[in-house]
Amino acid sequence: MSDQPVLQVINLSFRYHSRPDIAIEQISFDLQPGEMLLVAGASGCGKTTLARCINGLIPRSYHGDRSGSVLVKGREVSQMSLVEVAQQVGTLLQDPERQIVSSYVVGEIAFGLENLGLPREEIYRRMDEVFDRLNLNHLRERETFTLSGGEKQKVALAGVLVMRPAVLLLDEPLASLDPASAHEAIQIFRSLADEGTAIILIEHRVEDALQARPDRLLYMENGRMCYLGAVDTFPKELNYHAVKLPAPWVVQRVMQEKKPSLMTVLPQPANPQAEKLVSFKNVSFAYGDGPEVLHNINLDIRQGDLIAVLGPNGAGKSTLVKHAIGLLKPTRGEVLIKGVDSREQSVAQIARSIGYVFQSPTHMLFAPTVREEVAFGPENLKFDKQDIQRNVTESLSVVNLVGMEGYPPLGLSFGQQKRTTIAAVLAMRSEIMVLDEPTAGQDYANYTRFMDMLCRAQDGEGRSLLTANFKATLFITHDLDLAVTYANRILLISEGRLVADGSPESVLRDFTLLESCRVRPTSLLRMNLELLPKTGHFLPAEALAPYFSDAYSKSNHSISAGL
Amino acid sequence: MLVTWKYRPRDTFIQSLDPRARLTFMACVILAITATDVWDARLLLPVFAISMVLYFMARIEWRDVRRAWIFILVFILFIIGLNALLGGRGGPLSVLQDDSSVLYALSIPIPLTPWRINLTVTVVRSFFALVQMMRMITMAALAIPIPYTIDPSIYGVTFRRMGASDKLSFTMDLAFRFVPTLGRDFMITMDAQRARGYELESVRGGLIQRLRRLAPLLVPVTMQAIVNGEEVIDAMDLRAFGARRRTWLRELHLRQRDYWFMALGVIILVIMMTARILGYGEFWVPGFWYRLVGT
Repeated sequence: MSDQPVLQVINLSFRYHSRPDIAIEQISFDLQPGEMLLVAGASGCGKTTLARCINGLIPRSYHGDRSGSVLVKGREVSQMSLVEVAQQVGTLLQDPERQIVSSYVVGEIAFGLENLGLPREEIYRRMDEVFDRLNLNHLRERETFTLSGGEKQKVALAGVLVMRPAVLLLDEPLASLDPASAHEAIQIFRSLADEGTAIILIEHRVEDALQARPDRLLYMENGRMCYLGAVDTFPKELNYHAVKLPAPWVVQRVMQEKKPSLMTVLPQPANPQAEKLVSFKNVSFAYGDGPEVLHNINLDIRQGDLIAVLGPNGAGKSTLVKHAIGLLKPTRGEVLIKGVDSREQSVAQIARSIGYVFQSPTHMLFAPTVREEVAFGPENLKFDKQDIQRNVTESLSVVNLVGMEGYPPLGLSFGQQKRTTIAAVLAMRSEIMVLDEPTAGQDYANYTRFMDMLCRAQDGEGRSLLTANFKATLFITHDLDLAVTYANRILLISEGRLVADGSPESVLRDFTLLESCRVRPTSLLRMNLELLPKTGHFLPAEALAPYFSDAYSKSNHSISAGL
Repeated sequence: MLVTWKYRPRDTFIQSLDPRARLTFMACVILAITATDVWDARLLLPVFAISMVLYFMARIEWRDVRRAWIFILVFILFIIGLNALLGGRGGPLSVLQDDSSVLYALSIPIPLTPWRINLTVTVVRSFFALVQMMRMITMAALAIPIPYTIDPSIYGVTFRRMGASDKLSFTMDLAFRFVPTLGRDFMITMDAQRARGYELESVRGGLIQRLRRLAPLLVPVTMQAIVNGEEVIDAMDLRAFGARRRTWLRELHLRQRDYWFMALGVIILVIMMTARILGYGEFWVPGFWYRLVGT
């Protein structure tokens, strides 16, 4: 690293004209070529605003009061032209689906260079370099719409790198990737830094981001810097409720603070003799004349099941679940819902038994008020008026949205929107709840709050929202820790096949199997497996602290071994 | 999937042409058979023949275009065909003021009013209907193959090279990029609402009522598109879109065959214009038609 910083942020503050509160305040740091800075913090901490100040979207596209300065190679960003900034600061947005503007890979990668008006020979030369650098030659002729999530992100990254930026700004680049793709992306980021690119990695999944071996960490809360420094030790300023930290760090902090752990309801073990609610019998499925995407699936969903469906993108998880709710009917075999073949039931009829909460609330929210939104399902199912009214009131009370009945759902915060979607399914009085990626699109603080709302004990009998209202729950997820913490049964899907079905303790101990299904073991899983003889079942990180003996706890090294 | 592009590479003369040449040719032919007011079947027939030959040279599979053709033929037959046949509307004066033999006459009273609808098919109007349909099919045969035979990735550069601005031209490319995304969002929303007991089949009633019943689909898809749109704008700004005159990586080259093809279009247009100036091209009914329809 040279001594000349490529980026200097000096006493930077910003307030959006549209909002009363200041978004970021007195931020200062600098970045050397080849240095990687991890910026972490919960939603609303100011990470995105900081990024917009660095890449010039503030003040060009977002207006407000800005003070302090952002210097790239000694020049103030707000005074540089769009063309100049674009060549110095490359930004990879959170969702590559929205970053990609061209129908073809080649067009996408060339886009920025075309906009700079470079000669064609130069564009081709630079594209060849970046195709080789990121090993993308096999994607050269592809349409961008057909790429997988990981491929899309590599293409989006190539479209940024081809402009040869001195600073690379990565805004939650892991959010839309499955763990294996996220791991590959992290390796690429590290090697780019090693080659001299200065990188700002914005990520609330600190545990994953640490694998990129960032040189420094900037931790933000409420628009302010709380910590700026090394990451080799666990800084006390970090709030383990706000960002996702490695399990050993959480345990260490809980032991230091001597606080009681959160009262999350531990799932009761699944009972293989319990009442069958849904049965898959030799189910295979293909879209039209296309290749088979599900192969001979056999399983029963029983009362009391809390199932996590794990597997990489494109493995067939959603296709499997859509069979349970009748959106898809098997090409071979049968799906029995309460003993009746799904082919003999309409989706509306099945909806009385199974409620499905889609990943993004904006895909389903439409009504002018929360009350009408929640009443939509029961009205479609022709419940009588009194029942609808009662169901709506009860459901809103369960998800803690009382008082918001008259609000427009689309005007609520993301977390409230998610809760509205849960209420919408609760009001249909379905017996089984299906959640597709319940934590997607939320930061760590919000998603743990959301999962706690679903799984925390609510009544005197220690039942949670899910166990009190549904006979079984099934959630599709990429987040292995979610499966470790909240499930009592794991379905592992790979290439359209059910490769494992059992308790978390039995399925998740086989690392070879997990890795063959592109599921990456986490520090929480490792720690849980290590402690399983003492605990008997998997626990959240905070609940593991009491299981460490004094001697064990004194040795940070031993705890860190789980990393 | 809801939206798929039917374009695929084919080793045909049509697809070897520069899209600018094809669009220019199409514009000339459409102008030649509409704007010049030529109604003489002897002049229109060769153009119709050229258009059909080009259509078959494109070698598009029938199952791909079946729906488009059925739609167009039904449209032409019922709307334009009947209109021309019964009233001669849309045609030259000689058809409107036609006093040829009546083949068929029908007078239908309008209930509760003293008026009647008089439908009179004459020899002249029957042939006029035929000519009118021929003109429409000539244009349809040129237009229908476009989405099947022009690579979606070159619409933007085609329009740029034809003089449109960078921004307008790239809008074409963006549309092709995001229509499949819109289609996918629509399918997800459809599934999400069906899982809440919503049935599209139950969307009945008047326009307002239908729109209300469609809101569960239309609102989420629109919201999603708006949210996406904002990020796409950021993504484009961050890569300097619109900051200066852009290079279009894809190059288009007019070759000799493209010039010949455009020349053919221009010749057709010039012939029609000249014919009109010299007083030819009026509506004409061949003698055999009188014998054929039995008068």
